Amino acid sequence: MSEPRPLGRFRTALGRTRTASALVFRRWDGRAVFGTVTAVYLVAYLWAVGHLAGGLGGFGVTVVADPLGTFFRPELGPFTFTPVARVDVGPVTYLLSFNTVLGLALAALVGLNLALSYLAWRQPKACGIGERSTGLLASIPALLSGTACCGPVVLLVVGVQASGVLLTAFQFLLPAAAVLLVGSLVLVGRQVNPAAVRRSPEAGQPSRQ
Amino acid sequence: MRTATRRRLLAATGGGLAALAGCSRRRGPSGSLDGSEGGDGGGDSGGGENGSDGARPPTADERLPLSMSPSALREAARSGGPPKDGIPSIDHPSFVDPSDAGFLNGGDPVFGVVRDGVSKTYPQKILVQHEIVNDVLAGDPVAVTYCPLTGTVQGFERGGTTFGVSGRLINNNLVMYDRETETWWPQILATSIPGPWNEDPEIASLREFRLVWTTWERWRGHRPDTRVLSTDTGHAKNYGRDPYGSYNPQGGYYGNDSLLFPALSNDDTFGRKRVVMGARTPAGAAAFLKDALREREVISGRIGDTPVVAAYDDRLDTAYAYLNPEEATVESTDGTAVRVDGERHTPADLPLEEVHTFDAMWFAWAGYYPDTNVYE
Repeated sequence: MSEPRPLGRFRTALGRTRTASALVFRRWDGRAVFGTVTAVYLVAYLWAVGHLAGGLGGFGVTVVADPLGTFFRPELGPFTFTPVARVDVGPVTYLLSFNTVLGLALAALVGLNLALSYLAWRQPKACGIGERSTGLLASIPALLSGTACCGPVVLLVVGVQASGVLLTAFQFLLPAAAVLLVGSLVLVGRQVNPAAVRRSPEAGQPSRQ
Repeated sequence: MRTATRRRLLAATGGGLAALAGCSRRRGPSGSLDGSEGGDGGGDSGGGENGSDGARPPTADERLPLSMSPSALREAARSGGPPKDGIPSIDHPSFVDPSDAGFLNGGDPVFGVVRDGVSKTYPQKILVQHEIVNDVLAGDPVAVTYCPLTGTVQGFERGGTTFGVSGRLINNNLVMYDRETETWWPQILATSIPGPWNEDPEIASLREFRLVWTTWERWRGHRPDTRVLSTDTGHAKNYGRDPYGSYNPQGGYYGNDSLLFPALSNDDTFGRKRVVMGARTPAGAAAFLKDALREREVISGRIGDTPVVAAYDDRLDTAYAYLNPEEATVESTDGTAVRVDGERHTPADLPLEEVHTFDAMWFAWAGYYPDTNVYE
């Protein structure tokens, strides 16, 4: 058989990634890892961009005058969007914006990566997975992309003055994180042996095989 | 008086007392912080004429000094990250009574003003998220502006236009723009410079008015009738979160020596964020260290060739600067009164011509006014 062309290899990798992703949701432990990691990462992302933080206290919901027209309006920097609602829940204040949608998409990618990593560690043979995911590392740039008024305040913590180069670099952190997360997912997915997956039990087994 | 450094500012325009009129004009009792009682002043920020040319912001008779050419200042501008209006000004402010301002703690910084008997309070924790409030104060359209990176709060008359945040910084300082002519106005300089949206503006200075940087506890005690900017700003912002740090207690950017962006000057005579009370006229600039004012209460100096004196006001933890060309004898008494030629006055109301002054971090003042006189 001749070597598949690059496009063909890519299609195969994508197909195997889909299979691996589906595997995560077929197992209870895969779903648990996915759900937990997604939720934790979303909270961390919203915290990093300042849309989930301590507030003035009290309880209430405030919605801006034109929430639909404002939803996609850029705000403080690249990939930060104008909040359209403020939700005060005691000591915590949540700002609803398109950043929550972006954060959820990133969080799902991180969750999928780590759930596959978990399966690779837990039951590598039954799942047909040969390598661990590097998704956690790939997720870090997105957290760093959080910006506040007048630039990347995160640099203050590092003790580095912002420059044009750094500001430009910050613009690419979030898309870079997304690309890295998808890339690591495909890298893991292409290791999946579909035949092994077909042999694996439908329900997750807690014991390492 | 002890002069730490005394350097002559190269005045961009001619000096002389007559030239000061446009930038140091005193509002008299109506502009005093001890002004008489008055009405609310309203919260509608709609435009209006104020002796301005159409909707253009009204400008002072004389131009304030620039240590660089306007075009060089434009070259020094850098992106702060947010796009134009990415930090949204408050254009329809509403106000509440002090009893409804439960979101303020006694030690929180606020910016207070009294104009024609109308007192208003602008909490730092709200302005840090917006930087500009386009308001109407005692019938006059004004812009209250705050730059968190330089610790400067300044008020400007705005005529029929409004001001917005350009997204650019010079010397870490807010660059405002007016929405009528799209001219850039660096906040501390209060003077127009070219920008990408108006490359050939008239170079002129805005008409300024004084806001007092103090604490909520002090201001409320001083002006119990004040109205307080409401958190109901029309924007979904978290006013419990200052992205840079905290003033109560002091921490983060406000409490360390780091800058977000390079400054125009690396003068290390004092700590970068040590607070000075700065005053400048077309003839030059002077800075009085605020902690020295707390200790000595009265400090004399010069702006250009003209003697000036700064008097500390213990009630609000602020100071006022006055021209003192006749070199009257000015002495402190107990922090709440000052003797001028033997006669007692409140520090806010000396019988001298007041010079506009405001708090600023040292690096910001030294960057814009490298030839400033400094007094401690």
